[in-house]
Amino acid sequence: MARWGMVIDLDRCTGCQACVVTCKAENNVPVVTPREAQAGRLMLWMTVIPEVEGEFPRVRARFTPRPCMQCDHPPCVKVCPVQAMTKSPEGTVSHVFARCIGCRFCVQACPYGVTYFNWQAPTWPKDLRESLNPDFAIRPTGVVEMCDFCHHRLQHAREEARAEERDVRGEGEYVPACVQACPARALIFGDLDDPNTAASNLAHSPRAFRMLEDLGTSPKVYYLKEG
Amino acid sequence: MKLTRRGFLGWTGAVAAAAAGAQTVRAIGDLQAATYEAELPPRGIEGWVASVCQQCPGGCGILVRTITGVEDGVKRAVKIEGNPHHPISRGSICPKGLAGLQALYDPDRLRGPLKRTGGRGQGQWQPVSWDEAIATVVQHLQGLRARGEAHTLLLMAGQVRGLMQSLLLRFLDAYGSPNYLSTASGCEAAQQTLLLTQGIAAPIASDLENSAYILSFGAGLLEAGWSPVRQARAYGHLRQGTPGRRGRLVQVEPRLSVTAAKADEWIPVRPGTDGALALAMAHVIVSEGLFDREFVEAWTFGFEDWRDPAGTTHLGFRSLVLNDYRPEAVSAVTGVPIQTIVRVAREFAATRPAVALAERGAGFYTNGLYNRLAIHALNALVGSIEIPGGTVIQRRPPLTPLPPVTRDAAAVRGLAAPRIDGAGTSNSPLASSALPWLPEALRTGSPYRPNALFLCYANPAYSVPEFVRSPDLLDRIPLIVSFSPFPDETSRHADLILPDHTYLERWQDDPIEATWGPAVLGLRQPAIPPRHQTRHTGDVLIQIAQGLGGAVAAAFPWKDFGEVLKGSLRDVAGTQRGLIMTTPFEEARQRRQADAGFWLPTYKTFDEFWSQVAERGGWWDPAYSFGDRERAFRTASGKFEFFSQTLRQRLETLARRGPASGGGLEGVLRALDIRARGDRVFLPHHEAPRFVGDEKEFPLHLIMSKPMSLASTRTANHAWLAEIPDVRTSRPWEIAVEINPETAHKLGVKDGDEVWLESPAGRLRLRARLYQGIAPEVVHVPFGSGHGAGGRFAEAWGANPNRLVGGEADRLAGTPALFATRVRITKA
Repeated sequence: MARWGMVIDLDRCTGCQACVVTCKAENNVPVVTPREAQAGRLMLWMTVIPEVEGEFPRVRARFTPRPCMQCDHPPCVKVCPVQAMTKSPEGTVSHVFARCIGCRFCVQACPYGVTYFNWQAPTWPKDLRESLNPDFAIRPTGVVEMCDFCHHRLQHAREEARAEERDVRGEGEYVPACVQACPARALIFGDLDDPNTAASNLAHSPRAFRMLEDLGTSPKVYYLKEG
Repeated sequence: MKLTRRGFLGWTGAVAAAAAGAQTVRAIGDLQAATYEAELPPRGIEGWVASVCQQCPGGCGILVRTITGVEDGVKRAVKIEGNPHHPISRGSICPKGLAGLQALYDPDRLRGPLKRTGGRGQGQWQPVSWDEAIATVVQHLQGLRARGEAHTLLLMAGQVRGLMQSLLLRFLDAYGSPNYLSTASGCEAAQQTLLLTQGIAAPIASDLENSAYILSFGAGLLEAGWSPVRQARAYGHLRQGTPGRRGRLVQVEPRLSVTAAKADEWIPVRPGTDGALALAMAHVIVSEGLFDREFVEAWTFGFEDWRDPAGTTHLGFRSLVLNDYRPEAVSAVTGVPIQTIVRVAREFAATRPAVALAERGAGFYTNGLYNRLAIHALNALVGSIEIPGGTVIQRRPPLTPLPPVTRDAAAVRGLAAPRIDGAGTSNSPLASSALPWLPEALRTGSPYRPNALFLCYANPAYSVPEFVRSPDLLDRIPLIVSFSPFPDETSRHADLILPDHTYLERWQDDPIEATWGPAVLGLRQPAIPPRHQTRHTGDVLIQIAQGLGGAVAAAFPWKDFGEVLKGSLRDVAGTQRGLIMTTPFEEARQRRQADAGFWLPTYKTFDEFWSQVAERGGWWDPAYSFGDRERAFRTASGKFEFFSQTLRQRLETLARRGPASGGGLEGVLRALDIRARGDRVFLPHHEAPRFVGDEKEFPLHLIMSKPMSLASTRTANHAWLAEIPDVRTSRPWEIAVEINPETAHKLGVKDGDEVWLESPAGRLRLRARLYQGIAPEVVHVPFGSGHGAGGRFAEAWGANPNRLVGGEADRLAGTPALFATRVRITKA
C-alpha cells in the first residue's frame, strides 16, 4: 500500500505562493476580512513562512512552504476525542468535518500550527460562490480544518484505478493541487515506500531534513536544504 | 429532515450512548455527510477548456475546469490549472493565474454598457443599450472627421498584443490619428536597448535555464517579471535541473527583493548607478583580458578606437571603460566595495554561459536607457548573444497579415499631424509612445486639444503618476470611452463604458512577446459563455468602424473578431513548420523527424488544425537556431554596436530637422538633459541620475516593486491575492513602507507605526515596517494596491506609491523615471 509523502526543495522554491492560492481554490478555503486577519484568523492550509536574518548589507531571507506535515505519529489524531482527525491506512491524516465538535485540542497539539478553526461561517459574495469546487464541502462555524493532501484527488485517482483493476500509481496519477501548480517544481509528491518515485529518492537525499524531527512525529513532508 | 448543528450534537450523544465503538462513530459520520450536502456547491458534469491566461504579459497556457450543473444547466468555471502542453507554463501556474476566477466572478464587474449621468468622476451611471452606446461613439467620431480633427482621437492601451493590437492600430490608421499611446512603458525601454545595440526593436529575451551565471540588475525574476511562471521554472532548472551543476544568480538592487533573497549574492547598489557598476565590471573584464576576443573582434563595432571615412578618430568602448570606470572611482559612486566589483566581474567572465539582465530596477531612472545599454554591453563582452544560456530574440508566429488599409483624404490629413506626446521628436527621439508628455499637452492644449479618448486595458488614473494626482486633467477631453470590464479609476471619468468580456470569456490570439526564443502562439477561448451583457472589444471596434462608413468601414470588412482570428491563423497552418502544442515526449519525436528532414503534421486541413489548436491550447515552433548572427544584428555595421550608429543617426536627424531643438546636436542633447558630450553620447556610459526633491529636505529615495501577487493593476480586487501581498513580510491585506532599522531609529519610527511619506509631489499615510534588507538611504513601497475604484476589495486596502512620484523622465527613452523621487518620513 502506498505511503504518500511530499518533498519540498527549498533550493527550487521561489516564494511565489502559487501553492497557497491553488490550495484556497481547490479546497474552498474561506477568505477572511482584514480585521479578522489581524486577529490571526487567516486560513491558509498551505502557507509560505518567511525568515529574515542578518543586518544590512549581509542579510539572508528564506521562504519555507508549510503544508500539513502528515505525520506518521500525528499528535492531532491522538488528542481528538471524537475520531474526527483520522489517519488512513495509507498514512494520510485527514479531518472528517462532520464529526468535529470544535474542541480545538488538535490546534493545541499540532507543533506545526497547520490546523485552523472556523470562527465564523464562511461567506462569499454571491458571484464568487459560483466558482466553488463541488468536490469539497464548505465547512460551517465551529469546525477545525486543515490540509489533507487533497484527499478528494486521491479518491478520484482511486476510482479511475479501480475501473482499470489496478492500484493508484506511485507517482503522477495523484498529486495535491499545490504540487500541480508549483512553477519552480519545488514540490515533489509520490509514494515514499516505492523506491522508484522521485519523492522517495529525494527523501533519502543528503540534503533532506524534516521539521522538528526531534519531536518524534515523523512527518511525511521532507525538505531539501538549499545549495 | 433538516438538522441544525446543535441538534445534531445532542442526537450524536444519544446514539453514542446506545451503541459504543468506533464503527458507530464512523457510521454517524457518513450519515451526517448527507446533511452537509446542501452546503456543497452544485454538482455537475466536468469539462476542461484550454486557454491562455491574461493576468500579466506572461502568456501562460491554462486549463479551466468547468462544471455544468445537472439541475440548472449553468456552466461554471471552478478551477484554473496550468496547461501541460503549453511550452511557457508546462502545467504550472502562478498565484495571479489561479486567481483569475476572481476576475471572472468579480462581484463588482460591469454588467453592460453604461452612460455617465453625474459629473466626471462621480460614478453615477445609467445603463444603455449596445446600439445606443455605439451610435453615440460613431456620431462623435464622425463629427471629428468632418471637422478635419481626426488626429485628435487618442487611443491609450496597456498590455495589448497580437491581433487585438493590430486592430486598434488599424482603426487609428483608417480613421486618421497617429495617437496610439502605450502605458506599457517598461517594455518600450527594453525594446530601445536592442534597437540601439542590435538594430531590432524588440525586448531582449534570454535563455535563462541554460545559463550557468545570471547577473541581474534589478530584474524581478522571481517577482512580477515578463513571464513569472517561465522565470520560476527556469530558476528551478538553474538550481537543481542538471545533476552536479548548480547555476549561480547574483542580484544587484538597493533592496533585498524576493529575487535577491533567492540569489547567491545580493549587491545593494545606490539608486540609479547600475550602469556605472556594469561599466566598472567591464573595466575589470577588459583590463584583465577576460573578454571573448573572438566574438568581440568578429561581431562587435566600436570596441577599439576607430577612424571614420572622414578621418576622424572616435572613442572605443575599451578606452572608455579603461579611462572612466576604474573600480576605485565607481565604488565611491555606487557604494559597492571594490573587491565585490572585481570578484563578480571575474566570475561573470569566467563562467560560460553567463547572462546580464537589465530590468526595471536599473531602468526606471532618468539615465535608464544608458544603464540598460551598459548592462547589455557586458553580454557582448563575454559573447553571450544568440547562444544557449545567453540573450536571444523572441521569434513571432507567422500570422497572415491583414489586408492593407486604403486611407481616405481625412485619414491622410489626420495621420500627417504630429503626435500629441511628441514621441519621436526631441521630447523622446526613440520612443514610439511617450506618456510622460501627455499631461502637459492636455494642460496647455499644445500641439492640439484632444477630442476623444479610447481606453483599452489602460488605467492611467492609477498607473501614470501625473494622472493619479490630477485625474481631472482627463476631463478636458470631450468624449472618453472605456472598454474596461471593471469599474477602475479612469473609467470613472469616462462618458461611456463599453465593457469587454473578461479573458475567460473571450476568443483571442496570444503570441508570446519577450520570453525566450521560439515562436509561441497561444489561443485564448471562452471557458464559459459571457456572464453579463458585455461585448468583445474587437467586435465593438468593428461595429464602430462600420458605423463610420466609407473607407473606415472598408478597412473592417469582417463580421466579428472571430472571423479575423480564424483568417489570421491560416498562414500558421500553412507554414509547414512547428507543431500543435503537445506533450514533451511527442514533441521530441516530432523534432527528431524534423531533424531528419520530415515534417509530418498532425493535420491535413485548416479545420483540423483549428480544432487541434483549440483542444490543446495553441501552436508553437520549438526550433530556434542559435548563432544565427546575421539575423540578430541588423545595425548599420551588421554587428553588435558598442558605439550606437543608430542613436547617432537618430539624434543627428533630429538636430538637422527641428527648429524646436535649435543649435544642432548640442541643442538636442540639452533638450534631452544628456550631460555627456562627444562620442560618449553614443556609447554606454554613466549619466549622473537626476532626482525630484532636494537632498536635504527629502533625504530618502523611494523605490517600488511589483510583487508576485500584484503584477497587473487589476489584481488588487482578488481577495485571495490581497491575503498574501508580499511573501517577505507575510502580512495579509497590508502594504507598508519598508525602512532600514537604522534610518527608522534616527527618525524615532518603530515597526508598525503609522507614518507620512512625503515627496515634493504629494504625501501618503502608511504603516512603517523595519526591514534589514533595504539600504539606509532607500525606502520601498510595493505597487499595485491602494485603488480609489475598481471593486470592494481593491478599495479596502493598500496604498498607491505613484501618488508621490515626481515628473522626471528618461527623456531619451520617453519613459517615466518612476524611481527618481526623493521622500521624507515623519511620524503620523
